[in-house]
Amino acid sequence: MFFKKYYDKRDGAIRGYDMHSRSSRVLSVLIMLMCVVMVMIALFPIVWVFLAAFKDIKDFNTNVSLLPSHFDFAGVAKTWGQLKFSKFYVNSIILVVGSVFCAILFNGLLAYGLAVLKPKGYKVIQALVMWSLLIPSTASIVALFRNINMLGMSRSFLPLWLAYGANAFWVVLFKEFFEELPTELLEAARLDGCGTLQVFLKMVLPLSKPIIMVVAIFAVTTSWSDFLLPYLVLNGSGKETVMVKLFSFKDTPTNAVAMLRAVMFSIIPPTILFVLFQKQITDGAAAGAVKG
Amino acid sequence: MKKKTKFKRRDLMSWLVMLPSVILFAFYVWEPLLENVRLSLYSTIRYQTIDFVGLANYSRVLKVPDFMAAFKNTFSYTFWSLLIGFFVPMIMAVLISETVHLKSFFRVGVYFPNIVPGLATIWIWNYFFTPGPTGVLNILLGKIGIAPQVWLNDSRWTIPLIVITMTWKAAGSTALIYMASISGISADLYEAATIDGATIWQRIKNITLPSITGLARTLLILQVISVFQILYEPMVLKNGGPNNASISLMMLVYRFAFRDSDFSGAAAMSVMICIILILLSGLYMKLTRKKEEY
Repeated sequence: MFFKKYYDKRDGAIRGYDMHSRSSRVLSVLIMLMCVVMVMIALFPIVWVFLAAFKDIKDFNTNVSLLPSHFDFAGVAKTWGQLKFSKFYVNSIILVVGSVFCAILFNGLLAYGLAVLKPKGYKVIQALVMWSLLIPSTASIVALFRNINMLGMSRSFLPLWLAYGANAFWVVLFKEFFEELPTELLEAARLDGCGTLQVFLKMVLPLSKPIIMVVAIFAVTTSWSDFLLPYLVLNGSGKETVMVKLFSFKDTPTNAVAMLRAVMFSIIPPTILFVLFQKQITDGAAAGAVKG
Repeated sequence: MKKKTKFKRRDLMSWLVMLPSVILFAFYVWEPLLENVRLSLYSTIRYQTIDFVGLANYSRVLKVPDFMAAFKNTFSYTFWSLLIGFFVPMIMAVLISETVHLKSFFRVGVYFPNIVPGLATIWIWNYFFTPGPTGVLNILLGKIGIAPQVWLNDSRWTIPLIVITMTWKAAGSTALIYMASISGISADLYEAATIDGATIWQRIKNITLPSITGLARTLLILQVISVFQILYEPMVLKNGGPNNASISLMMLVYRFAFRDSDFSGAAAMSVMICIILILLSGLYMKLTRKKEEY
């Protein structure tokens, strides 16, 4: 029964016909056990957060068991209020929505130009975008921060939103997808009198829902997790996001339980997103969509 | 003649459509890179550049007392992340590829840490590495009768432990990339090898691993580039300590720019990091190309 299923195995070194031998069966079971251990290591810290955050401070310091002696829901709600997390959530959502919009529109438009329009000289931009994949990103943050300030764009979401419109990985992802679109269809639309931009909005985007979905999900998780530029731009402006708050704990520590609860609050949205879209996310990651 | 102008107009329209994105790339990616080089050659007071000073900023930042520690540590991060972070995802991918039961659960499970925000990851591991009896790892060790450890406070272990937290977060996503590559290996190869009497281990060693080395090379260079810029992990966990044991080059950049408002010093430091990375990438490409020739 257990080993029968190996006859349907289509990839990897172990095949159904190996199941005749006892040692191969033992090996297969061992490999599976190792995978179970790996998943446990991957999940344990996350599970721990969601359980320990419900301990009260005394329980946290004295109770060494994984489960809290009672689930302190009132305490968690109190921490939410004290740290003003509603405000940080709203700010984070504003940041995420604008970032996703920019990520799809601007990277999509550039990819449309490189994959479909291909105007004279497009190869220069293509080469520059490809080079950008290798450019050390954090190393240019100093000059970028200075530019943002000199343009008077600090303390606003705008420079953060627009930053998501210049992501070489996503341009490549869009580009590869657009190259597979039927050219005749787009050409026909253009002959019907659609302008260049109209073809993109009315034809290309509706045909590209799968890839838009992938980029959107990655834009949500990266912009939710982003903190360095948001901290530099937004700190002290009243527009701090959840991650800016988490980052500021390094200078103004609070008690262990309150901080742990803040960490839990920051994990909840990406966790929900992951549970809902696990297939798209893991497939997209397998395509090399996202690094870091 | 008429045809030519028509083409030109179409090109112009296309460029107009691409223009906003190109401007964004210029502003966020390309210009800051050049601007860094320019800034590094000038003296600055806050955001303003004052005088051209040549390479003075470079010799200045090289003399900062923490520079040698940061330089050495950054290579140490790279070393440990290649030792741990490079092989773990490969092993994970091979193992998960060889399962049939619960395979999608394993895939999703090992990827889960990747969606945990980087800062949250750092804070979570901070609880795990807490010295004394309340630290999570010490509690776990206590259950098998091992005395509490000081973890990050032992300067010999700070860097490897930070690399472990980074690997915990990132390994799953890299493993998925390897898995996609492994599932594309032709079944005929394995069958032919089996007929020739190859054991499972020999098949993995001689078929699976060689077919992912090309991918591994690309991922290796991307990993070096990203680890070399390590910044917030040591900054948040230990602020570069204990006793500068985990301070990195990017942390120096951050301190110059955002603690001391010394943008020219920060720019000089950034440019040096870029140059080291370009040299490393170039050296690496040269070495691997030579190998292929044999």
